[in-house]
Amino acid sequence: MSDQFEYPWQYNFPPFFTLQLHTETRAKQISAWRTLLLNYCKFSKTCTLDVREASHHPLLSNTSINRKLNTEVVLAILSDLQRTQNAAPIDKQRFRWEIYWHTLEEWGNLIYNHIVSRGATNSVLTLFELSQGEDVRDEEFFGLETEVLIKALRVLEKNGKCEVILSEDLQGVKFF
Amino acid sequence: MRRRAGVGAIQKQKLEQEKYKDKGNEIQENQFEQMTKQLEVFRLNLEEFATKHKNEIRKNAQFRKQFQDMCASIGVDPLASGKGFWSVLGIGDFYYELAVQIVEVCLATSYKNGGLISLRELRTRLIKARGQGKQHQEISQDDLICAARKLKIFGSGFSVVSVGKGQYMVQSIPGELSMDHTAVIEQVANSNQAFTSVSMLQEQLNWETTRAQNALDHLLQEGLVWIDLQDVMEKLYYFPSLFTACINASN
Repeated sequence: MSDQFEYPWQYNFPPFFTLQLHTETRAKQISAWRTLLLNYCKFSKTCTLDVREASHHPLLSNTSINRKLNTEVVLAILSDLQRTQNAAPIDKQRFRWEIYWHTLEEWGNLIYNHIVSRGATNSVLTLFELSQGEDVRDEEFFGLETEVLIKALRVLEKNGKCEVILSEDLQGVKFF
Repeated sequence: MRRRAGVGAIQKQKLEQEKYKDKGNEIQENQFEQMTKQLEVFRLNLEEFATKHKNEIRKNAQFRKQFQDMCASIGVDPLASGKGFWSVLGIGDFYYELAVQIVEVCLATSYKNGGLISLRELRTRLIKARGQGKQHQEISQDDLICAARKLKIFGSGFSVVSVGKGQYMVQSIPGELSMDHTAVIEQVANSNQAFTSVSMLQEQLNWETTRAQNALDHLLQEGLVWIDLQDVMEKLYYFPSLFTACINASN
């Protein structure tokens, strides 16, 4: 991965930061923002976004053309992401959001496939090992935020593929 | 002694008139025959010329243009018929092929430009799509205009809009643009920017506020412009099809 995030042409297109009224145009706009936001989160490995801080967010405001998205538009984009399970609000007021460039189910599968290929089923791994360990350095979920990691594992747990253990002295998971 | 006009004189006159008529017909027929002969010779020559320079016509865009002009001035349209001796040339096919590719490029880019594309961008993308195969042919703007105009027979879905200074835009959305809409596009295409506004149109075209607003609203409705509400002065209307970064974007 290169160390510079590559912005699409729309990022410098001033009306891209104003919610379009024309239905078709707006659909294109939202779709472009979806892709952009997911790519950006993937690139910067960030999973959380606070709507209240959108005006200072490096992606949601472009100072070079003096344009920024207002809260209403950010929420429209996030809601659309939520529809496809690529985002979810983590508080009641819908201020703070988690963004999943892989859906939780996809994350779960990625992790599980890795465990199976390593032959590490039937053993207990700490969450730290799973997201920061040497063995997962080349995996996409390396460095994944713990909150998201747990949620992805919960999905796996529901399918009977693992058991999440969250006690005081051990935060780990056992795969089946 | 004065002779009175007799039956003989009248008959004589009649006979003369008939002879004149016959002669006239004869001359006319002669001319017609000659004309047909000449045309036949000309057609043969043109055919021979076309066959002889077939490759030249196919390869050289400028040559093709001149050939087109020549044909047009004598009322022959080599594109019009895929049959007859012109099919030997494959010129019609060449333009059909181009027309199909034009449609492809227009459809592929309409998601971002709303169905309006400058001829220059169209040409760049089309040439890229054709690739540099062994049968590489140079495609000129004239070729594209020629092919794009043929698409008119499908109704108002495709049209070539002249925006002045030898620049053209190809519109691939149903519904025709009025003079006013074209005027707006022309204004923006000839400026160095991709946007306009009510006050700019008022100034440049001497329009009333309502007229400018109506034209912009229509363009908005057709998805050809995007609105920007964050300018400190007024609402701005942007054409993605004229926005450099959009034109150059690979996807």
